[in-house]
Amino acid sequence: MFDIGVLQILVTILGVVVGIIFGAIPGMTATMAVAVFLPMTYAYDLHTALYLLLGLYVGGITGGLVPAILINIPGTPSSITTTFDGYPMAKRGAGERALKIGIVSSFLGGMISLVALWLFTPLLSAAALKFSSVEKFLIILFALTVIAALSKGQMLRGVFNGFLGVLVSLMGMFSVNNSFRMVPSFLQSKMQEGFQLLPVLIGLFAIAQIFEEAEEGMRFKIEKVNDEMDSKEKFSFRDFKGQGVNVIRSAFVGTFMGVLPGVGGSAASILAYAQAKNFSKHPELLGTGVPEGIVASETSNNGLTGGALIPLLSLGIPGDSTTAVLISAFMLQGIQVGPLFITQNPETWNTILVALLLCNIVMFLCMFYPIKWISKIIYIPRQRLYPVIIMICIVGAYATKNGRIFDVWTLLAFGLVGYIFGKIHLPASCFLIGFILGKDLENYFIQSVSASKGSLMVFFTRPIGWVIWLLIAASIAYAIIDNRNTKKREQQKQA
Amino acid sequence: MIKVVYSTQHWIMPQIVMGVLVILLAAVIITEGMARVKSGQPFLVKPGRFFIPEYDKLKFWGTLILFIGYIFTLDILGFTVTSIIFVFLFNLLYTGLERKKVIVSLIIAVVSSIILSVMFGVIFNITLPSGMCSVTFADFGFTIY
Repeated sequence: MFDIGVLQILVTILGVVVGIIFGAIPGMTATMAVAVFLPMTYAYDLHTALYLLLGLYVGGITGGLVPAILINIPGTPSSITTTFDGYPMAKRGAGERALKIGIVSSFLGGMISLVALWLFTPLLSAAALKFSSVEKFLIILFALTVIAALSKGQMLRGVFNGFLGVLVSLMGMFSVNNSFRMVPSFLQSKMQEGFQLLPVLIGLFAIAQIFEEAEEGMRFKIEKVNDEMDSKEKFSFRDFKGQGVNVIRSAFVGTFMGVLPGVGGSAASILAYAQAKNFSKHPELLGTGVPEGIVASETSNNGLTGGALIPLLSLGIPGDSTTAVLISAFMLQGIQVGPLFITQNPETWNTILVALLLCNIVMFLCMFYPIKWISKIIYIPRQRLYPVIIMICIVGAYATKNGRIFDVWTLLAFGLVGYIFGKIHLPASCFLIGFILGKDLENYFIQSVSASKGSLMVFFTRPIGWVIWLLIAASIAYAIIDNRNTKKREQQKQA
Repeated sequence: MIKVVYSTQHWIMPQIVMGVLVILLAAVIITEGMARVKSGQPFLVKPGRFFIPEYDKLKFWGTLILFIGYIFTLDILGFTVTSIIFVFLFNLLYTGLERKKVIVSLIIAVVSSIILSVMFGVIFNITLPSGMCSVTFADFGFTIY
């Protein structure tokens, strides 16, 4: 049925705790945690690796609430909205209560999204089984347009970078006729498969960050806070009275946003927070330190965890940058995620569900009771951690293909690329999604066109294809409208 | 119609994607330029400074140089010794040269490098870069890289 044992429980605890640490240190993210620790999983079988990686994922997303509440700095991007009500609560001395509300909300969000994952993945897989290469091509195209729809006010730049990712993924040898393209001849021996996913990913999400902070001088000093943790207001589960609708709505917003490819947790929590405000009986109180806001924000960002796994497991398309790292974990173990995944690997599928359940429980236990000690994590100096992280990244890159220095150079190169992306406002997550899907996009396209003897009409003649075209059109339309609104709002703000 | 010819089909997709990128780039330049014109600015503006004002030259370029040095040295000295040296140097670069901080940096470098080297190289049996200072204990069947 599924794999679980002492080792698995231990690596879950390790994963969750390390994840919480990464999440709680501002500037370090869940994606970074999963990417940096992926090489550790080389030593384990897939199932044990999944416990570790999902633990890092859940811990990383949840840990972000600690600094968000205590020092008004979101630990991970998805905790931005937690600061709105969490910090005002901490300032009036209700820090512990706010943290506990956040932790319980995170737990609830995680559990609800787990149920969604369990119910919807098989359905989506079953539908996707009917897909031929035409639909598979269109689905990837759809994924690339969804990126556009959600790159707030940066639609064109988002799509541009998505396609740039596709182009870079095509560098190397084409598997059908074994011919190289876009590779200088002196690199051909090293780049048969193009750039490896892992060094590209760690470069974009960990090394780039270190360059950014080096530029700023690594001058972060976090003022010690003392009175925030005074328990003037005690937490009680009654804080959740009347929050049922809010919890369920926010969890589903998070899950749904997770399903859409390329959408980070920050988009999910911002949407959930806005909804909570729209439906609130007293919207004017949100932002002044009420539990409602924390509940919306934290339920939705943990709701993302299960949601992001749905397209990953049923279609082979990662829902966010962290699940993109999980794809490489599957690849390393030689398992193909996609429509056939559940039927071919029922045990792995069950293990994922059990692992996610365990991760949420462990996360709750590791955070709820020892929260006073956990909250000290935010004072760990990043200057001391970064050198060690660089070392772990190098190990991970080097070991990708069983020991090649070339992959370490790739790591550095994409660290710089990611840093430059930040400078010229090109979203790195869009690039990554394009990079992951690029090769499949090409294969399905060539297969479809070969089968139709060159006619492009093949993309417009199948009914399932029409549905996907409709989705593509809808996401582009949404992108254009949303882009316009966002820009208008920004202009109004400036004026 | 797209002709799929065996010998040249590896260029079909890259060419399409490049075409799409050129169109998107043009779209980015035009829409952003138009938006600037609307708000009273010229169509093209000089790009802003690349680095933030008064960026930390030492830490930024130092990070890059140390990183390159780290990679070059890995194959020569082996993972453990190279890591001790460069983690120490990174620590100095980021935290400064006060006596107390130097000692902490040294401790962090030695302890973290040895722990990671043993954890990945020996316990997890992952291949690490080997070099002059790597030692293989043939009788026990493991290598300190």
